[in-house]
Amino acid sequence: MVSSAERPNALLLAGIGLAAGVLSGLFGVGGGIVLVPALVLLAAMSQQRASASSLAAIVPIAAVGAVIFGGADSVDLPAAAILIVGSLIGVQIGARLMARIGDDRLRIGFAVLMIAVAVTMLVS
Amino acid sequence: MTPLEILALLAIGLTAGLLAGLLGIGGGVVMVPAMVLIMGLDQHVAQGTSLLVIIPAAAFGSFTHYRHGRLALRDAAALAVGGVLGAVLGSVTALSLDDQLLRKLFAILILAVAVRLLMTRRSAPEPREPAAT
Repeated sequence: MVSSAERPNALLLAGIGLAAGVLSGLFGVGGGIVLVPALVLLAAMSQQRASASSLAAIVPIAAVGAVIFGGADSVDLPAAAILIVGSLIGVQIGARLMARIGDDRLRIGFAVLMIAVAVTMLVS
Repeated sequence: MTPLEILALLAIGLTAGLLAGLLGIGGGVVMVPAMVLIMGLDQHVAQGTSLLVIIPAAAFGSFTHYRHGRLALRDAAALAVGGVLGAVLGSVTALSLDDQLLRKLFAILILAVAVRLLMTRRSAPEPREPAAT
């Protein structure tokens, strides 16, 4: 089990969760972008413990957002079903490949692509 | 849905999952712009759909952590208490915004993510888990 010797302050964790929840609801993302670095830097968690806590917290956070968006008729259920199939296969492949290829070029290539996507969204 | 749209969605999901596994960048940042730019969905619908898609991947991932004894449920519960409240605030705010404005705000978010990715040094060889962001 995870050592409970160092127990991060529950109020601090709730505050970090609040910020991640706002970001998640506002932008339809999980909130891990905020959660993992905040847990490492502010709550002094190891990267691995932060990733685990972050993923588990994302489940109820995304569920609340999905229900509210669904209530506003802003969820495409058939599209979601197909995306889920694709993403679950992709995660498995990605996790296996990760050990084999250096990710620096991939990381930079992806960042450049994201910048292009952002610019397209800004001007469209 | 046409067969082409089904194939496109499968490819988008696969790519989002693959990158989550490889880079630890979660699905939402990839799926939302793809749904908007490739599938032509509204920004709001893309975001709502993304939230639903994130749930099973995050649930599988955290179950794996839990099985290996790496998940402190108490930490996750404290995060979730604040997180659920934040999710209500964020979702209601997003739904009150104009679709075009929300799309532009989202573009700024992914610009920030891209800049952070560019500034990340090659990470130490510690095992990383796919994060459903």
